[in-house]
Amino acid sequence: MKTLRKRTTTGGQALWTWPPVAFVFVLVVVPLIFVALYSVGLRSNIPGTKTGFDLANWKDFLFGPTNPFRALFWHSMTITVVVSIAVTLAAYPLAYFLSFVARKNRYTLLLLVLAPFFTSFLLRVIAWQAILNENGVVNSFLMWTGLRAADDPVTWLIYSNFAVVLVLFYSWIPFVALPIFVVLENMDRRLLEASEDLGSSRLATFLRVTLPLSLPGVIAGFVFVLIPTTGEFITPLLVGGTDSQLFGNQIQSFFSVSPDWNYGSVLAMTLIIVVLILMLIFGRFLSADLRDTSTRSAR
Amino acid sequence: MRGRISSTVLWIYFIFMVIFLFLPLAVLIVFAFNSGTSPTLPLQGFTTRWFEQAFSNGELVQSLARSALIAVAASLIATFFGIMAALGLSSKAVRGRSLAIGALLLPLVVPYISLAVGLLILLQALKIHHTLLSIAFGHAVIALPFSLLVILPRLRSLDRALVEAARDLGASAASAFRLITLPLLVPALISSSIICFTTSFDEFAIASFLYPSGQPTYPVFLYTGSRSPQTLPQLIAIGTLVIAVSLLIVGLAEFGRRWGERRLEGRVASALAEKARAELPRLDDIVTPV
Amino acid sequence: MTAINDLNRRQFLGGALGVAAGATALAACGSPDAPAPVPSGSASASAAPTASRIPISAESGKLSILEWAGYEAAGTKAQTAGLTEAGSAYTKEFGPDGLAYTYIENDEQALQKATSSADFDIMHPCGENVKDYVDRGLTQPWDLDLIPSAKYLAPGLMEQTTYNGAVYMLPWDWGYGSLTYRTDKIAAADATGWELAWNEKYAGHISLWSGAQTNFEIAAMKLGLPKPDDLTDAEIEMCKAELIKQKPLNKFYWDSEYGQMQPGIQSGTLWVAYSWQDTLVTMKAAKVPVAFMDPSQGRIAWFCGFMLGANTANYYHAHAYVESFLNKAACAQMTNAYAYGTANTQVTAADVTDKALAESLQISDLGALTSGKNHLQSYTANLDKITKAWQEVKAS
Repeated sequence: MKTLRKRTTTGGQALWTWPPVAFVFVLVVVPLIFVALYSVGLRSNIPGTKTGFDLANWKDFLFGPTNPFRALFWHSMTITVVVSIAVTLAAYPLAYFLSFVARKNRYTLLLLVLAPFFTSFLLRVIAWQAILNENGVVNSFLMWTGLRAADDPVTWLIYSNFAVVLVLFYSWIPFVALPIFVVLENMDRRLLEASEDLGSSRLATFLRVTLPLSLPGVIAGFVFVLIPTTGEFITPLLVGGTDSQLFGNQIQSFFSVSPDWNYGSVLAMTLIIVVLILMLIFGRFLSADLRDTSTRSAR
Repeated sequence: MRGRISSTVLWIYFIFMVIFLFLPLAVLIVFAFNSGTSPTLPLQGFTTRWFEQAFSNGELVQSLARSALIAVAASLIATFFGIMAALGLSSKAVRGRSLAIGALLLPLVVPYISLAVGLLILLQALKIHHTLLSIAFGHAVIALPFSLLVILPRLRSLDRALVEAARDLGASAASAFRLITLPLLVPALISSSIICFTTSFDEFAIASFLYPSGQPTYPVFLYTGSRSPQTLPQLIAIGTLVIAVSLLIVGLAEFGRRWGERRLEGRVASALAEKARAELPRLDDIVTPV
Repeated sequence: MTAINDLNRRQFLGGALGVAAGATALAACGSPDAPAPVPSGSASASAAPTASRIPISAESGKLSILEWAGYEAAGTKAQTAGLTEAGSAYTKEFGPDGLAYTYIENDEQALQKATSSADFDIMHPCGENVKDYVDRGLTQPWDLDLIPSAKYLAPGLMEQTTYNGAVYMLPWDWGYGSLTYRTDKIAAADATGWELAWNEKYAGHISLWSGAQTNFEIAAMKLGLPKPDDLTDAEIEMCKAELIKQKPLNKFYWDSEYGQMQPGIQSGTLWVAYSWQDTLVTMKAAKVPVAFMDPSQGRIAWFCGFMLGANTANYYHAHAYVESFLNKAACAQMTNAYAYGTANTQVTAADVTDKALAESLQISDLGALTSGKNHLQSYTANLDKITKAWQEVKAS
């Protein structure tokens, strides 16, 4: 009697899974289907336009001899990878510090690192704008102290690739420090002791034990940055110049100023495909190493 | 000795990084009270007039109210579906679990710009007028995974024996849920609401495409206003308040969470790391069972 | 125990692919042709009979207006500058609270906004786009009986906004587009024509506008092409190449006149910028030395006006609002505030306060708009090609 009742209730409970799935389906999958339909010309936003299956936009984007959008795509991906690598390199010592040096206060200090990122992203970019402007904090400081002539501001600080990379770098540091920190925290410290007992130097221990064991966190952090940066458009919009706009800006612009939603949809679909590919590549690395972590936390 | 030197270097690095991370916030706070009309050095003098101007700027205040409204709605919708999905997934009898999980976490990896244009297209195809509600639904769907990632682990950590005991004592499934499960979930529900609220309140991409004409959300207003030197000081002033409130909420949530954890389970302080992970979960959480 | 134990990558990916598969199935059965819109006003030759409409008292009075920044009705904002007269008759009667503005950054973006949300009661596009709005079913004709000032509007402009006998746009403002430059930074010898924007000496201090059609017209004028609004495919390519060459010299393409372009000129960040003549007024007030170039290839000329939303639920409010902009006093004050010309022929040279400025810009002479080498922006059948080419310029 009891087992029977339990089975029916849990079976009923399982059904609760599906309304939320339907919700996501309607609000994420269906919109993306529409994007896909637009990208192959099956729909149009301009009333009265004839529609029909047409791969011309895809062909143009993928194979057009001098397609500027494809060139921009590669440029953006390069920026994305550069930012991701730089952030990961900068975040590692931070995580290492929190986990190994700041033992006692590490959670307080971690909160200190994370705190700025609970505040508005847009506000922080605007603050950077105020810092980097030609009449902003940095330049006015240089002029005030006489390091720079009053009518000769440093112009590459803003509306440049430098500004875009700096602000993206700034924005992602904690996102990367966090997973590395978590992995370092979960690491079996006895392994490090063993390594040192066996006569390894601290450096050798770090290189041979700590670093390899923390790779899942490093990769997770790297992917943390990689995926959202592929579609980034707000930062270049606010601090980028005409030559530092990213792929995301093209998508935004295709849908907000150009009537050509069909071509914009090709770019938007490209981004989705890229993200799925990134998941395929990096997910494998992650899951292989994470089985290890999960057994440890169960310990 | 070498250890001492390297930890000193790391300390210096850490302090440098914290300064770097807080620099923009400090700039906002300093210039919110600076009487100069643009954020330049040297400082001009102390003033609170930007705050006065900001509060008398109807469009700014309305945009804040609008964003708060949307964020509350989004947070309720997302948390509602979050509980539902967590209950479903915690059952052993789910068929197509991986399909469900894949779908529920999909919003985490879809680039917001692609999702935003997709929603724009969808609304146009269905001839639905842009309203604040459409933004709230868009925000709810991107917040749903966060909600699920907070609630599900909590639900799993609950002692199933409690629910079963209640059922054995004759409680219906519904009342067992209402009397046992729900109260125990309260800390997670609060966390979920806060995370969903902040996700929505700060969201720009979707809102910038879907806002009804003449009714920008706070981030959209911030974006347009930031381009105008006349309104920039007001935005900075309001911005510092938003920052102060955000930090306060983070602090309170952390406090409440620890208190809740201790009361319910007596768990250790590492809860903070988990919470931080839950609040910043993106890809890692999909693939990392910690 | 701490995270979702069984949410692993394989499940996620499996799920995602499953969802994608389902999506494809759905796409296959649900791929409709773009439904043709129902252009509520465009088909009929004249305004719908007023008898069938709800009276003004039953309208909500909440007007959603697609407008250029600076043109908000008097009383809407605590403005120190801008329009003090235009719109005041409306706000006095109905109050300013029901008015919500969405701002236009450039013509293409305005058209896109109107198309994608289509819920504006009043829109303020420019002459070259009237046909686009009509063709897309975004607008309906005005009822001139409800607009007492309509009979004073310049017939030459009205002609260009009338289709099948119905007036779709009530012209209001007109003027010129050219390069404004800092006379203290730019050698007079360099400021002779549109090629100033291509002058590498001033790299990093130039800013063209984000308007696609306008920039192609600029390039076409620089290249000496005969019809800047009717470019052949080959000419579009030539203009595109010219704009790509110019692109690195820009600080940015400006979107916001008051937020980016004018402050840039004032602070000295920008030395050369595409602008309208109102920038002269602003800079004069700020005592910044600038000139509004008269390019050897001619200036760009334009006129803009009000269009009525196809689906407006505030038919009478919209008419009252627009009348409050079109009357003589409102037009005269606009002319004085921005140094633009006005379509209201009641405003004469005598109404303009800054006679010297008025003289130099010929703002009392509508004929000047198309005289000499000036190029009046007009409908381009190639707009989609041009905006696409503009996207390519930005991506290059």
